[in-house]
Amino acid sequence: MRNILTIAGKELRSYFTSPMAYVLAVFYLGIIGYIFIAIFLLMPQAQTEHLRDLIGSMLFLTLFIIPMLTMGLFAQERASGTMELLMTRPVRDWEVVIGKFLATVSLFASVIIVSLSYPVILEVVAKVDWAMILTGYFGLLLAGAAFAALGVFASSVTSNQIAAAIIAVFMLLFLWLIGALSYSVSQSLGDVFKHLSVLENYQDFSKGIIDTKNIIYFLSLIFVSLFLAVRTIENRRTV
Amino acid sequence: MIQADGLTKYYAQHPAIVDVSFQVEEGEIVAFLGPNAAGKTTTMRILTGYMPATFGAAQVTGFDLAEQSLQARRNIGYMPEAVALYPDMRVHQYLGYCGRLQGMGKAELTERMDYVIDRCGLSERASSIIGTLSLGFRQRVSLAQAMLHDPPVLILDEPTVGLDPNQIVEVRNLIKSLAGDHTVLLSTHILPEAQMTCERVIIINEGEIVAEGSPQALTAQLRQAETLLVTIRDDDGTVARQIKNIPEVVDMRRAEQAGSYYVETEVGSDLRADISKFIVEKGWGLLELRPVEMSLEDVFRELTTEEKGVA
Repeated sequence: MRNILTIAGKELRSYFTSPMAYVLAVFYLGIIGYIFIAIFLLMPQAQTEHLRDLIGSMLFLTLFIIPMLTMGLFAQERASGTMELLMTRPVRDWEVVIGKFLATVSLFASVIIVSLSYPVILEVVAKVDWAMILTGYFGLLLAGAAFAALGVFASSVTSNQIAAAIIAVFMLLFLWLIGALSYSVSQSLGDVFKHLSVLENYQDFSKGIIDTKNIIYFLSLIFVSLFLAVRTIENRRTV
Repeated sequence: MIQADGLTKYYAQHPAIVDVSFQVEEGEIVAFLGPNAAGKTTTMRILTGYMPATFGAAQVTGFDLAEQSLQARRNIGYMPEAVALYPDMRVHQYLGYCGRLQGMGKAELTERMDYVIDRCGLSERASSIIGTLSLGFRQRVSLAQAMLHDPPVLILDEPTVGLDPNQIVEVRNLIKSLAGDHTVLLSTHILPEAQMTCERVIIINEGEIVAEGSPQALTAQLRQAETLLVTIRDDDGTVARQIKNIPEVVDMRRAEQAGSYYVETEVGSDLRADISKFIVEKGWGLLELRPVEMSLEDVFRELTTEEKGVA
């Protein structure tokens, strides 16, 4: 546990010593803010239920933000050679993977907590359905963690950060778009695609529904990705 | 303390090291000497638990690197060949991070950190950002992290590369002062370094150990003849032939300088008196006559260029 926290702490600190965390946070919050203004100030017929769409668009942005946060986690250590020292410490491979994963998840969590200020602002002038908002945010956090896990895996397979980011974005886009395929294939195959879709599994959360099936989907995505990352790290024969 | 048994490592089809076996006893300083790409780094990466050997086994402080890797790694301080540090961290932050990963307690860490910062000459740079340091200082930070947790075994891959001559002397003295309390295996391709800092040298070439022993023993082992350097003022061209006629003289060849010759005589013989008398009697004008010692450098060159083993 101590090792995990040490590694997570180090990664979090380096997010903040590089401009990375600030640039991404400003970018993320800025776009969400813009959408917020566009919905509630410029649309006269706007309802507070439109917050659901806001959280929906946050997830889509997350799909691009998270890979930028995770791309360096292993790729950079490989490229700069620090990987060698890290892996010769008395630290288990999975502790390193989990530590780095947690760093990204906590950074993402703090950014979306800041974004909660938008519905708080709305509360001043209208009645906000907080149960729905918080469920949506829970889904967002869970999905963000799953994206981060996939990003960690993508970063573990290469020593090129850009390649790691691209791999992660493509895997996420695939999981995002696979739901759309479900309408053009047979019923049974379509169901399988729907179950694999990030969007399908996220939609219930944004409607204010917590379903274990969706939670299990995201947790399995996290588990499988981190497992693959550990196995990739373990296999350094060719590095 | 360090034991390697038949280590063999293949990268794809290409063997990096083949059947490397050696031992380093407690408190010894041993140099791992070899030209570039001889397999030094590969061997060290196996010994530090970074990657497994294809065949063979290795133990450090009695822990097998494959079976009890974590325990072994706890007892090793490793300075990798490429000075790889996190450029955005400060020196003390970095050392703190390393110490925590080594499982050090807070009080112990503070104390050891002060000690290694002092020993490695980093006192004035302790709060500098690593990325702004010169290579020499980064090298010291790398050495400091290897010593930080006071490991019984230190594995240093080319510890003096990139340092200026003064720093090299400092680092060598530092390594020497670790002897006794620590077991040190260091790799180098610089011969005087091995000769100066180490009690024992293991020479590796093309993935195989070709010689092992103290620098003195190695030079003695390889010496096939005693060599004298003779310089003559009035060389009429017949000198070589005439000296060669002395019994016990095995060979005679020109040295770089005009009038100078290397005279090789039988092992164990000392013909200095006979040869000087001979030359003086001929009236050639003897300017110089001295024995030529075979240096570790010659041994090294002999072993790594020709395929000749003594081990």
